[in-house]
Parts: sequence; structure tokens; C-alpha cells
Amino acid sequence: MPSLGTWLAAFFTLCMLSFLYKDNPFFRIAESFFAGLSLGYYIGIVANQTIKPNLVLPLMQEFSTNWHLLFAGGLGVMLYFRYIKRVAWVSRWALAVYVGYYVGVNMMQKLHGEVLPQVGDTMLSLNWAGIGTLWNLIMVVGVLSVLIYFYFSAEHKGAVGGISRVGIWFLMVSFGAAFGYTVMGRISLLIGRMVFLVNEWARPLIGLIT
Amino acid sequence: MNLERIMQVDRRIIYLFVAAGTILPIIFVIGLPVSITPPVQMAFDRIENQLNPGDVVLVSFDYGPSSAPENAPMADAILRHCFSKGIKVIVIAFYPLGGLSEAVNELNTVVAEFPDLEYGVDYVNLGYKDGAQAAMRKMNENIHEVFPTDLRGTPTGEIPMMKNVKTYADVKLCVTLATGIIGEWWANLVNAQFGLPVIVGPTAVSAPKYYAYLEAKQMVGLLGGLKGASEYERLVVNKYPHLAEVYATPGLYTATKGMDVQSIVHLIMIAFILFGNVVYFTGKRKPRKAA
Repeated sequence: MPSLGTWLAAFFTLCMLSFLYKDNPFFRIAESFFAGLSLGYYIGIVANQTIKPNLVLPLMQEFSTNWHLLFAGGLGVMLYFRYIKRVAWVSRWALAVYVGYYVGVNMMQKLHGEVLPQVGDTMLSLNWAGIGTLWNLIMVVGVLSVLIYFYFSAEHKGAVGGISRVGIWFLMVSFGAAFGYTVMGRISLLIGRMVFLVNEWARPLIGLIT
Repeated sequence: MNLERIMQVDRRIIYLFVAAGTILPIIFVIGLPVSITPPVQMAFDRIENQLNPGDVVLVSFDYGPSSAPENAPMADAILRHCFSKGIKVIVIAFYPLGGLSEAVNELNTVVAEFPDLEYGVDYVNLGYKDGAQAAMRKMNENIHEVFPTDLRGTPTGEIPMMKNVKTYADVKLCVTLATGIIGEWWANLVNAQFGLPVIVGPTAVSAPKYYAYLEAKQMVGLLGGLKGASEYERLVVNKYPHLAEVYATPGLYTATKGMDVQSIVHLIMIAFILFGNVVYFTGKRKPRKAA
């Protein structure tokens, strides 16, 4: 017989799938459970896996070498001041530090990790050296035509219009690939749930599999 | 039959076909062939040919139960490959909603298949950490500060295999099984700024964007969705035949079995698309009756 956990998981899975027929109270109950459980799980895991080992324990065990963690902890607490109207402004200071840090990290990350390597990889040799050059040519034409398509300071007529139409074709191919992958991804999720229902719930229920 | 009635078919009829196409291949496994694509072969070769027994690999569980049907088989195949080759594994998780649970589940499942493995010597689970980007940056300076203890509460510095692993320089490779943007951060932050080779196993939805990173050599391998996972399973089984027994376990969900279902459902969808187009164009060709 399936365990209680399996029964619950099967019940909520069927509740979610019932939406395919039409909206109903079982679906909404399962949706609310999911939202609540996710939030509870998130709070618990952050408290146990980050706040406790990275802030509370170091401060309690070796305060003299870890006192600087008070600043980070303090900034975190300051964020919650927004719920007290009179001192809500305090949370903005913490938010400013938070935003400033991530803007700095992301600027470097985008430039160093995306713009430069991706631009560099687009500068391909077009000197004929076999079939590989053809792919290089397709890559260069694709990048340039898509960039022209997104250039809105000139009307898309004449040469600009022609090139931007080529860009649309490249975009369509990429959207097609992305959509195909998306379908595959969604079907995979359905497979996962169906495998659970068949192999872990239904089969043990009728005694077909251990 | 009236074409207009066919065109107005209730969408729930299509759902029934898809449900049947999903459930039947789960019950009656077909075993369709799996062809290997270069991105997956690159990932496999990197571990098989460029790493040695005793090397350390970081496996980051950056997905949750919502994408486990795609990512979990990848994780299992990667872990089985590493353990079969004698590679040490550090497991971490950056995905908040279930990354750690997935890490614990998959690690427990695979470790049970290798009774000689010893916790702390051959593998370790350092747990979940919040603020992935900040943690990734800090790990280049000191992994022990980001993960002061493992999941069991043991100080990281006291774990035998972690004594000589302090920064990315002490790790040979990172494999991230990712949903959302966390996988990208391994490529465009950790690889770009710290040079750690990265293999990404993303969900199929996000797989296309990773090809750009792969082409620009910011990644050394890519396992795109369930298909990528099934290819990796095949490569691992071909190289380590003793794992074939594990993958043949009745009731065990594998990506290879999942791809059977995937193929059948795709055929059903293609049939409906073709059917819809034929009916549409046939109806279009007929002259309309005057109102």
C-alpha cells in the first residue's frame, strides 16, 4: 500500500490536474497549499541553512573575530522597518546598500560574462576554409540582420527593410527552437507527475509493483 | 463529417489523447534508441577523459521539485559517473524552493548504489546557501566561509576531503543542474571571472540560451532537458556496464524511459497539428455559401 505521504502527493497532483477539466475548489485548495508550503519551506531553509550557520553561530561562538557580521545582520533587520510607518525610511538605507551591491556585481557580470565573450565569439573568420566558414557566415549574417531589425532610428525601408526581414527569419528560427524546447520541457513535467501516479501510487495500490 | 464540427473539437479530447500517450508508454516501456549530440558528448568527455580519480567536482543542485523530472535524472547520471570513476563530489544547493531536498534525495539514492563510498572522504553535502551570486563570488575567496558547516553540522574545515579544498582553484569542474537563471550565473560569473570549467544541465525551456555560452566556450558541456539527460545516461551505461543493472530497475524513473513517453506525445501533437492544418485548408478551399 502507498504511504500517507504518497496518498497526499497523489491527491494534490490530481487536484492540480483537475484544472484541465475546469476551474474547481479542489484546484484552488491545492494551489493555496502549494503557496503556503513554499513560503514556509523558504523561511525554514533560509533560517536553518543561512542565518543560523552564517550569522547566529559565528556571533555566538567567536564574537571577537566575527563582530563585523553585525553590520550584515543589522542591514537585514533594517529592511523590516518598512512595516513601522514612523521609521519606514530606515529600510531604504538597507535597500540602497543591497541594490548598490547587486548593481555592481551585475554590471561586471554582464560586461565580463556576457557582452565581451559573446561579441568576441561573433567576430568569426570569413576566409574560406571548408564548410565551417559557411556556418561562420550564417552566424555573422544572423547577428547583423537581427541587430538591424532592432535598430529603430531608421525606417525599415529599402536596404534596411530587406536586411531586417532577413533578421525576422533568423528570429523566427530561434523562436521555433525555443518553443520546441519549451514543449519538451512541459511534457517532461507531465511525464514526471504521471510516472509518480502510475509507479508510486497506482501500481502499489493494486499490488503490481513493490 | 462536418469540418466545422471537427475544428471545434473540445480541447479536453486532446488532453485525453495526450494522457493516454503518456500513461501507456510508462506501463509498457518501448526502449526507443537514443542518439548522442555533441554538447552532451563534450560534457561526458570532460569528466571521463580530463579528470582523474581523486579530483574534486562541485555539483550544484540549482533546481527544485518543479523541474525534477528533467534535472533529477541528469543529477543521478552525473553522480553515478563521478563515483564510478573515483571522483570526489561536493554537493551544494542554491535554489531556495527544494534545491536542498533534491540534493539530499538524489545523493542518498546514488550513494546507496556505491557501498564503498565514505561520507566526508568521497563526497560531502554542504547544504543550501541563500544569495547565490554573492555566495558564488565569495566561494572564490573561501568556500569554508560561505559554507561554515556541512548539512550534518560538522565544521567544513574538519571534513577530511574539504581540508585541501578552499577555493575554486582546488576544484576541477562545476556541474550545475539548473532551472531559471542560476545556471547562467555559473557560466557568466564563475567561469568568466574565475575560470572554473562549467557544465550546465538546464531544463529544456532554458536550454536554447545556453548554446550561446557553449559556442563562446564559457561552458564545457550542456545537457539540455530530458533529452540531454537520456543521452548522458546512455553514455554512462556504455562506459560503465555495471550501471545498466541500476537503470533497468523496475519502477525506477530514468530519462531514457521518459524519452519514450516524450516521443509518443510529440507524435500525437504532430498528428493533431497536421490534422488541424489539413482540416483548416480543406475548409478554406471550399467556396463559402452566400449568407
